Amino acid sequence: MPAIEIRTFTERVPREFAAAWAIARKDMRTYYIRPNIIVMGILFPLFMFLAFAIGKSAPPGTLIPGLIAITILFSASSIEPVSIPIERRVKTFDRLISAPISMHSLVLGESMSGFLYSIGIAMFPLFIGIIVFQTPVVSAVTLVLGLALGAFCFATMGTLLASYPTENVGDVMSVLNLIRLPLIFISGVFIPIETMPPIGQAIALFSPLTYANDLIRYAYSGSTHFGLLQDVVILFVFILIFQFVAHGLYKKFNE
Amino acid sequence: MYAIETGNLTKQFGSLVALNNITFTVNSGETFGFLGPNDAGKTTTIRILTGITRPTTGFARIFGHDVQKETILARQSIGIVPETSNVYDDLTAWQNMIFTAELYHVGRSERVKRTNSLLQTFGLYERRDDKVHGFSKGMKRRLTLAMGLVNSPRLLFLDEPTSGLDVQSNLIIRDIVTDLVKDGVTVFLTTHNIEEANVMCDRVAIINKGRIAAIDTPERLKKTIRSVQSIEVAFDRTGPDLLAELQTLPLVNDAKKAGDKIRLYTEDPSEVIERVMEYARTRKLKVISMTTLGPSLEDVFIRLTGLKARSGVNYASD
Repeated sequence: MPAIEIRTFTERVPREFAAAWAIARKDMRTYYIRPNIIVMGILFPLFMFLAFAIGKSAPPGTLIPGLIAITILFSASSIEPVSIPIERRVKTFDRLISAPISMHSLVLGESMSGFLYSIGIAMFPLFIGIIVFQTPVVSAVTLVLGLALGAFCFATMGTLLASYPTENVGDVMSVLNLIRLPLIFISGVFIPIETMPPIGQAIALFSPLTYANDLIRYAYSGSTHFGLLQDVVILFVFILIFQFVAHGLYKKFNE
Repeated sequence: MYAIETGNLTKQFGSLVALNNITFTVNSGETFGFLGPNDAGKTTTIRILTGITRPTTGFARIFGHDVQKETILARQSIGIVPETSNVYDDLTAWQNMIFTAELYHVGRSERVKRTNSLLQTFGLYERRDDKVHGFSKGMKRRLTLAMGLVNSPRLLFLDEPTSGLDVQSNLIIRDIVTDLVKDGVTVFLTTHNIEEANVMCDRVAIINKGRIAAIDTPERLKKTIRSVQSIEVAFDRTGPDLLAELQTLPLVNDAKKAGDKIRLYTEDPSEVIERVMEYARTRKLKVISMTTLGPSLEDVFIRLTGLKARSGVNYASD
């Protein structure tokens, strides 16, 4: 039976989502247990956290929101910078960019795999906080919102950076770390924004981690620096910017 | 409606002109060969036709859909089998097929049916639950072709489908392509194997340095280089003197030793046969065998690409 032409918008949208979900599942089956993803997505944030937490007088439980924030940053943004250069090298990426799907679906599908990976990994610090340190969650809804928006934002950021047309994972990872590592220090994860110098506070406004961290911190402490609505709206804006810039760059670089 | 229609396609990468004003059409149901040396522009043409790369100028349509403006509609009708067997090694054969079907929006029940049927056709059904990294090169190639067919395409792009394959895989792939053509599928074949193009294609285009050097049926292309026709003759004795003397016969362009035979290149085989017989009578030689040989498609390819490379003359035709 020959292929049926899908012409209308209402016909296309569910099929585009289905294709994006297929890409995400393919990534889950193929890349989740790659050694470099495990190192960058799980071990790296853990050691970063320990480096800051050890020797601090604060009870370990109070550091859980920060650990969750950097965990979702590192795990969500680690999948695509590994998978896409590999796929370029083995030419499977050509399969994706020549399929009858929108480039938005490709970006969305790739980001979804990072998002789901990150949500799974974030359960470790979350349950360690609850079970080991008895850290109470004040607002479960805000926690879910912070995790979901933060993870999706960082996953889309990873997909955006992976648009750089290279077949070498290291090329993307080096640029990614150049961005991720400073984000930890300017986003109020370990040093509260209130205590940062004015220039630091100004720079923090441009980091998506600032708003994800603020949401997660609210979920544990009930206090927020920017306000929940502002955190949510700005994270949405970051997601849209990353999505559209990624869409444009993938189109440009594949020509 | 044409399966493929291009008009004045040009693609520049900086100062490099990869494609220079290419115009051709491929009829629905036709098997069209696209031949050319490395870096001639074959891959760039396929990337434009499949909507991956935008042309600098010109247009390309797939079944009437402009590949730039209606990219997704154009892609829905096509299957792509690239030169590299780009399968996911960490997925099973079944998962590779289903994933491709999902990308091409094949419905749930249809994708299972197609996957079962294609894996059986390509002799991979017994290995459907095995991860692909254990497959041989031929098996990966067959799986790549099966993945290219999972959406029942009306137009199939085949890039070097049998390159470097074992005889079994080669035969399976050729048989399947023959069956597809019988079912009305249009095939756009790029290959270095000129004999493969000669046997499989209704028409071929020869591309060189970003320009179409010629487009025609293989037989008509062969007729365009009449000087490559030859006569192969064997006498009851051999010797260097024979070769030298035959080379001087009227209408003989060139003479070469071919084992115990001598091959005489000419534009007029029938006249040269008479001259050879006369020569044999004069020299009291007995003709053991005599065969006339037409030019091969390879001769055409070499002649067209070689001439073009030397003179820069454009032999484009459509």
